[in-house]
Amino acid sequence: MASKLLQLAPHEAENHLELSLRQAFQLLEPKLRPPFPLKILTSDECPDLTRAILYGALTETHLAKTHIKHLHATVSDGYVLFVNLLARIVNELYDKLAETAKTQVLWAAGEMVDVSAVGFSGLLVSLLRQIVGGDFGSGNLWLCFEMVSLFLGKWDCLLEEDPLILTSALYNFLRLLADHCRATVDSRLDALKRLEIEFCVKMLREQFGLCLKFGRDLIRLLQDLVHVPEFRAIWRDLVSNPREFGVAGFLDVAQIYSMRTSSRYFSLRLTPEAETQLRFMLTHVKFGNQKRHQTWFASKFFCSPERETLIVDIVRFICCAHYPPREIIHSNTIPRWAVIGWLLKSCRKNYVEANAKLALFYDWLFFDERVDKVKNIEPALSLMVHSIPHYIELTHALLEFLFLLVDNYDMEQKDMIANRVSSSFTLLINQGLSRNLENLTSGEIIPPPLKEKLRCFLSDTRVGTAQEIQPSKTLGHLIPMEVGTALPEEHLTDV
Amino acid sequence: MSTFEIRYLLFSGYTSMLSIKDIVPAALNNITTQFILLDKGKVATEGQSKTCLALVADESAAVHFQFWGEECDLFKPGDIIRLTNGIFSYNRNHLLLRAGKRGSIEKVGEFTMTYVETPNISEMRWVPDANNSKKYVQEAVISPYSRIFPPML
Repeated sequence: MASKLLQLAPHEAENHLELSLRQAFQLLEPKLRPPFPLKILTSDECPDLTRAILYGALTETHLAKTHIKHLHATVSDGYVLFVNLLARIVNELYDKLAETAKTQVLWAAGEMVDVSAVGFSGLLVSLLRQIVGGDFGSGNLWLCFEMVSLFLGKWDCLLEEDPLILTSALYNFLRLLADHCRATVDSRLDALKRLEIEFCVKMLREQFGLCLKFGRDLIRLLQDLVHVPEFRAIWRDLVSNPREFGVAGFLDVAQIYSMRTSSRYFSLRLTPEAETQLRFMLTHVKFGNQKRHQTWFASKFFCSPERETLIVDIVRFICCAHYPPREIIHSNTIPRWAVIGWLLKSCRKNYVEANAKLALFYDWLFFDERVDKVKNIEPALSLMVHSIPHYIELTHALLEFLFLLVDNYDMEQKDMIANRVSSSFTLLINQGLSRNLENLTSGEIIPPPLKEKLRCFLSDTRVGTAQEIQPSKTLGHLIPMEVGTALPEEHLTDV
Repeated sequence: MSTFEIRYLLFSGYTSMLSIKDIVPAALNNITTQFILLDKGKVATEGQSKTCLALVADESAAVHFQFWGEECDLFKPGDIIRLTNGIFSYNRNHLLLRAGKRGSIEKVGEFTMTYVETPNISEMRWVPDANNSKKYVQEAVISPYSRIFPPML
């Protein structure tokens, strides 16, 4: 007897994906019992049999191994359909899955890694995204434990088949560790934290060349973990002993700063549902009419204080992975900067707010026209400019924070950072984005010391005088694949 | 369209979705529509059953909706709801949309729907059509927005 795949609430509509799998299972159930016919299936029969097997594997726990053997015997597409359906189940239905079905999904994912199924990385990414940061519920910690165990247990296979999936896992577990380490002492967490640390340290110590592929956000995430002894040691080596990592050409932490993080990492810490709702807000909800949608979003995704750290991930996601098309920019849809303003206002904890501001300005500190995108630094400036009329204190706070970063983020690289921030300003001014900001330097609306600093950063004379770092020549082979010179049409010419 | 899809449309009880702005008061259980739940009032008791007044809307208009019995606790603001065979009529002087005894509601999604809060068809004065006394027409706007659930600013 098959158990249910989904646990639906009363009054919840039937799900089409579940229905299609269940119908295939009911139709073909007699054929799912051994002995299996030796007949070769036609191309019409294959997809339905795959659906039926998938439904069987997830709902008939005691027969799951038989179902997978059946799949191995009949598969003719490199498991593409099976893996894609499984990933859709994870993306669209994970929260609604019955507990036994969740266990089966994890088991089936492991099987797909073992056979190097086509597209297994996408499935693993889908599963990673279901882990919710700051959620200390047993179900969520179980998923986290299963996933980190999978990555450690199948390390060699993953390294050989698709090493980049390991960098996605690293991004995830570094970020989750920061949440897990902040939690009050909880024995349930200790075993999980040990595994997460083991995985991240193994990556950083054994596969540092691979870690470099994910770009400058590696440093941002590592800094949130310096209080953990294992990471303090790594940090020390990064700063004073970079040769320890054994990567030819890697001599200086500044080389990591110079690499823009590929946008594919920024959606990893948002569940598909959070991403869908956020993108809906940024493409459909009218500016001035967003209050209810924002309230619903907050009550769903920041419902407990521990889950507030998601705000940092969302700010980074909006800056670097959500680019509204021109027609949206020119419509009355809520702009990115306004959503970020609301997110900053939603922070109740100081360290979350500081991390969210760092996420907002991060690309300013290292901006290089050759590899960076104007679109990634635009929201911070737009937020400062648009806050002048009614929320000038936010403009102050953001400017102060930015100047604080310049002076303190990395003392060794202070000149380079000051230079990059200055060129960020210059570039945005040249794009016609900050006429109002220039008014700040002449009027009386901000305190004189802040005004003086801003004037200094806005003057073109700074640009080009500070020393430049030239990492791309020596480290070209390590630069993330997506990185390339920003194309002129990618720049925002009008906002 | 494939024959399968046509069969689906013919036999799945498919009826066309009404926009809220096209709903008129009538003593008929024939309204099938989809909307997003914006706000809920307190749960009250009407006779033997629990009821709950709510504000719902789609891209065309808003309307007051009445939840009944267990429905009152199962839906939350932001839910996208499909109403099948519902009725829009007067209930104790309030013009309300509800599932009624023959209709049903189910949750089909969350969040991803835009809406307007004005006009609100529960806040209109409706009168019988001069040419057809069985049909109601809008006579006047009593309030552009819901007076029970004011817009959130």
